Amino acid sequence: MLSRVAENLYWFARYVRRAENMARLVGVGSQLQLDLPRSVKFMWQPMIDTVGGAGLFRKLYPDAGSAPADVDVMRFLLLDEGNPSSLRRSVDTAREVMRSIRDALPPQIWEVVTDLHMFLGGDAEGLVTRRHRVDLISRIVDGCLKISGLVTATVSRDIGFQFMQFGTAIEQADMTTRIIDAGASGLVAPRKEEDRETFRNLQWMAVLSSLAADQTYRRYVRRRVTGEHALQFLLQSDTFPRSVYFCLTRMQRMLGVMPARPDVKTKLDSVVNSIRAADPGALVRQNPASFMDEIQLELGVLHGAVAGAYFNVAAA
Amino acid sequence: MKPPLGIWAHVCGSDLVRDADGKLYALEDNLRIPSGVSYMLENRIVAKRVFPELFETCTILPVDEYPMQLYETLAALSPRPGEQPVIALLTPGVFNSAYFEHTYLAQAMGIELVEGSDLFVGEDDCTYMRTVYGPQRVDVIYRRVDDLFLDPEVFKPDSALGVRGLMRSWRAGKVALANAPGAGVADDKVVFAYVPKMIEYYLGEDALLPNVPSYLCTDDRERRYVLDHLGELVVKPANESGGYGMLIGPRSTKKQREKFKKLVVADPRNYIAQPTLSLSTVPIVTPRGPSPRHVDLRPFILSSSNVYVTTGGLTRVAMKSGSLVVNSSQGGGAKDTWVVDVEEPR
Repeated sequence: MLSRVAENLYWFARYVRRAENMARLVGVGSQLQLDLPRSVKFMWQPMIDTVGGAGLFRKLYPDAGSAPADVDVMRFLLLDEGNPSSLRRSVDTAREVMRSIRDALPPQIWEVVTDLHMFLGGDAEGLVTRRHRVDLISRIVDGCLKISGLVTATVSRDIGFQFMQFGTAIEQADMTTRIIDAGASGLVAPRKEEDRETFRNLQWMAVLSSLAADQTYRRYVRRRVTGEHALQFLLQSDTFPRSVYFCLTRMQRMLGVMPARPDVKTKLDSVVNSIRAADPGALVRQNPASFMDEIQLELGVLHGAVAGAYFNVAAA
Repeated sequence: MKPPLGIWAHVCGSDLVRDADGKLYALEDNLRIPSGVSYMLENRIVAKRVFPELFETCTILPVDEYPMQLYETLAALSPRPGEQPVIALLTPGVFNSAYFEHTYLAQAMGIELVEGSDLFVGEDDCTYMRTVYGPQRVDVIYRRVDDLFLDPEVFKPDSALGVRGLMRSWRAGKVALANAPGAGVADDKVVFAYVPKMIEYYLGEDALLPNVPSYLCTDDRERRYVLDHLGELVVKPANESGGYGMLIGPRSTKKQREKFKKLVVADPRNYIAQPTLSLSTVPIVTPRGPSPRHVDLRPFILSSSNVYVTTGGLTRVAMKSGSLVVNSSQGGGAKDTWVVDVEEPR
């Protein structure tokens, strides 16, 4: 398999998974907002920070101030072509990446990606209003899941498939840490100190449901949702497919059928060890943000190793 | 420099036309990068779907073995005979107008579709593909990239479509290129005018298909004739493709003829002239019913240890009524052409 084709398959899978997570993240924010009493304020800022867009948001929406308007944030996160991590840019990039490898994937996948691309490029203003937001989000999530379904159901299990699965897993691990980050850094700001604990937990429930983990959490953890348990579940569950640990061990298994490259294995083992060693209780007490940043950096290093080993084959 | 099997043009597409006298003539040769074969294959698939009864009752010779024939033509060029050759189709990429065909042929032959950046030439002068398993040697490249973009080391230094060192690798005999660099000299319409004489000189035979007669503007007497009869002739630049930069005399304005007069006088080597043919027509379906349109026919010829000619070809149709320009880049269409075996009716 050509390195270029493998790389494009990898990035295609990553962008599709990124778009899906972004849609879920925004969806959960919208839901949470509706649940809060008037004494508790919903904060969009952490959500903007988590995708690394704080500076850019200020630049594109200079009048937004410290408590940005709902519609501006929606436009920025979902539709803004000036924001490289917006949902629309993820979908468009996935489509551009697929263009040169269309022959490597079933044609229905191209149709679904193109459908999402047309949908997001359509009547944009109407989509961000609160009335249509649920439709928008579920349509994106459905589209992305349809692509995942087509991949598992119809793509031949060759080496290219492994690169897609690897891309999906590394992107999910990364997005899970970002969603935890957003949740932990306080999407809600209670005005009274005694409300703090209650709403913190409400917030963790929102985080779980944004990763479609709420039901599974209840079945496996069987405890009231608290920061510590939610964090443990999302970081270390060995059965939930969106937990960081699950994604990483999946990658470890995939390495077994990919051409052996010691550097990739070392980097991956190192992230796995960091996750295993993490103490969720301590992390929740200290604010997990800096740990999540560390994991994201480690995943970045892992990506670099994968690119070096498989994508940038040098003239030796 | 002697390419494998002594062949330079492994794939050739020759444009044939039928004039009012009912005879077939060779209009021009395409040896640099002949294209359009995928349309021939796709058109046949469509025709079979639309007219299954006709295919059952007539013996229409097939065209669908072309990809396998092309594969064998390419495989025969491998510098490592006896081993399963690694063959790649080199494309300029998704923005090339023939990208569909590149993908189509690569898939139909089961070979790799590569871009310039996927290849590199090693210190051993071998050409390699960058794969997830590491570098893999390539034996044969079916290149769909123009000569001038093939190798920035030798040709255009800023070409991003080519592979640095590819010509070195080819000259060392480590990789085969089809068609060989330079085969495009035969696309020059002045060179084409000499083809009947070449056949006579090298083979001692007469050409089976006559050329459309050409007037060479480098010859004083012929140039004078051309300049005096611009209103009757078709004047073509020697090295253009896509049907651009032509003067079709009977349809031209006085101003256009004046312009061409100046062009021909200024650079006679760059122009040839041919009589305006009355190209044969085929019916097409228009919103107002069937209507005749002019056509030409491009069969494809593969030269390797054997020579193979498609039993059919790309038939290009001028979509505008009365137009003689059939090029797809100028809105031309395509049709399926059948070679019917009448010896053995079923």
